[in-house]
Amino acid sequence: MSKRVLCKFFAQGACLKGERCEFSHDWKAPPNNICTYYQKGVCTYGSRCRYEHVKVSQSQASPSSSSLNPPFSTESLPGTATHGSAEHSTSSAPFSPPPRPAWGENSGHNNVRETDDGVGYLRSVGPADQSICPFAAAGDCPRGDKCPHIHGDPCPTCGKHCLHPFRPEEREEHMKTCEKRRKHLEALRHSQEIECSVCLERVLSKATPAERKFGILSECDHSFCISCIRNWRSSSLTSGLDVNSALRACPICRKLSYFVIPSVIWYCSKEEKQDIVDSYKTKLRSIDCKHFDFGNGNCPFGTSCFYKHTVKPGSFLWNATLYPDLYGSEFRDIVEVESSSDTSDMNGSQALAEHFYSSHIPIDNEELENFSDEDLNNIMAEVLALFPTLLDDDDDDNNYSSDE
Amino acid sequence: MVDFARVQKELQECNRDFGVSGIKVIPKNEANLTQLLGTIPGPLGTPYEGGTFNIDINLPDGYPFEPPKMKFATKVWHPNISSQSGAICLDILKDQWSPALTLKTALLSVQALLSAPEPDDPQDAVVAQQYLREYQTYVGTARYWTEAFAKASSLNVEEKVQKLVEMGFPEALVRSALESVGGDENLALEKLCSG
Repeated sequence: MSKRVLCKFFAQGACLKGERCEFSHDWKAPPNNICTYYQKGVCTYGSRCRYEHVKVSQSQASPSSSSLNPPFSTESLPGTATHGSAEHSTSSAPFSPPPRPAWGENSGHNNVRETDDGVGYLRSVGPADQSICPFAAAGDCPRGDKCPHIHGDPCPTCGKHCLHPFRPEEREEHMKTCEKRRKHLEALRHSQEIECSVCLERVLSKATPAERKFGILSECDHSFCISCIRNWRSSSLTSGLDVNSALRACPICRKLSYFVIPSVIWYCSKEEKQDIVDSYKTKLRSIDCKHFDFGNGNCPFGTSCFYKHTVKPGSFLWNATLYPDLYGSEFRDIVEVESSSDTSDMNGSQALAEHFYSSHIPIDNEELENFSDEDLNNIMAEVLALFPTLLDDDDDDNNYSSDE
Repeated sequence: MVDFARVQKELQECNRDFGVSGIKVIPKNEANLTQLLGTIPGPLGTPYEGGTFNIDINLPDGYPFEPPKMKFATKVWHPNISSQSGAICLDILKDQWSPALTLKTALLSVQALLSAPEPDDPQDAVVAQQYLREYQTYVGTARYWTEAFAKASSLNVEEKVQKLVEMGFPEALVRSALESVGGDENLALEKLCSG
């Protein structure tokens, strides 16, 4: 149901959830500017509140009929008394035109009237167009049977009356998200018990939040915390153990795994593990590879790298593809540059910088003539910045498992 | 940096089921958890049966990502343990170490090594030669070393003789029986009983 409402974060261009966000990322969706505190009864900001103070049933009450029975008695909702009438709240709303509230899709129907018994039941619109009572959906409606709104059917998972009786897609969506959330909570509860076999502590009870994460091995199902398994896999320098046979093996079963997946929950089934792995890989695919460096660097993982390899216009690889004659030999001729030109008074990096200049930047005679010391310095800096990534080959799975 | 929280946990865990495993690890000095002393019972049915072997444990800075350094403090006659220095030749204490192993599991492996010597990959060549060429001599020496170095010093030979004599065996017979079995009280008793 919330998918119909524009995501506040998305509207600011800063929603971190992306596709998984439960709110709508469609600009056409109505924004939700309604103060939920006001609707629940008390908003401490009063008239200074930057959200709209609209009563729950206001959308269904036409301006002419709002002088009739107010839909909520002051006894059941004490806050309404201090906030004034419905007209007042409409006029005090800071936004114009007032966006359609999330719970009242039919606010445009001004021609409808409340029925005589004070129940704002709208006969002129189909049942599927009516929204369900948000109080009941939140767990408890103070008006019970007398409520003017449809009370949704209870959700089998969360038990709240939030399933719209006439909107099957909405029901399905709610049930799906609810079930997902329940599974997630269950997995989280189950994960609390899991211990790391290295530090012998419960992973989710570790001291710092950064440590409260599992490191899942791709090939087996033994549990470790992310810091322990990464420590072990990168300990070759101190212990002199072999990377391929010892360090990449699971400390318990010694099965080789080529990557570690960080995860806040532990899985119960193969499918859940696959889900975790897939969402991790999807996330990595959206991040640019630091080794590849937009076509300027050299990624040791090549095409099997989990990260995104984007070739930027003007990068080394871009130029090399465009002008294979000029750039075809890649880095192999660095050696030649160093040995062929007389570099007795030139150190290696200077020679390399020159090489880079000639191979990296599209050659243009004018440019060559304008070549100054300052340019050389810039290129030197660029080369030195590139160097670590060029030579950094031993950094095996750090690339894969670098923290998000 | 040694993970002391883990070491503490390991010590508790290990000493809790001392009754079952007979393996004990204690810090040599309460203030320093990197210097430990482990004890393992000699496995039954081997020349080391009845002995209690002390093992010096030194935790390197990288523990548990590096193997603990272990060596026998008690002298022992075994092809894979140096009779001079007590150095142990065991793969899991070297390149086969895994951080999922603990002091207790490592000591269990050492205990298993006592019952299953690997003379083809020796630490002490002399012992290994003897093991391969004169197995009986090896068993005798190993048993004698166990008796001499791995048994509680409070229980010396005289006391054993005394004990067996009190059971009603003649002293001369007791002494010869004890000698023939390498000083093991129980084996001597068996020998005396079987006549």
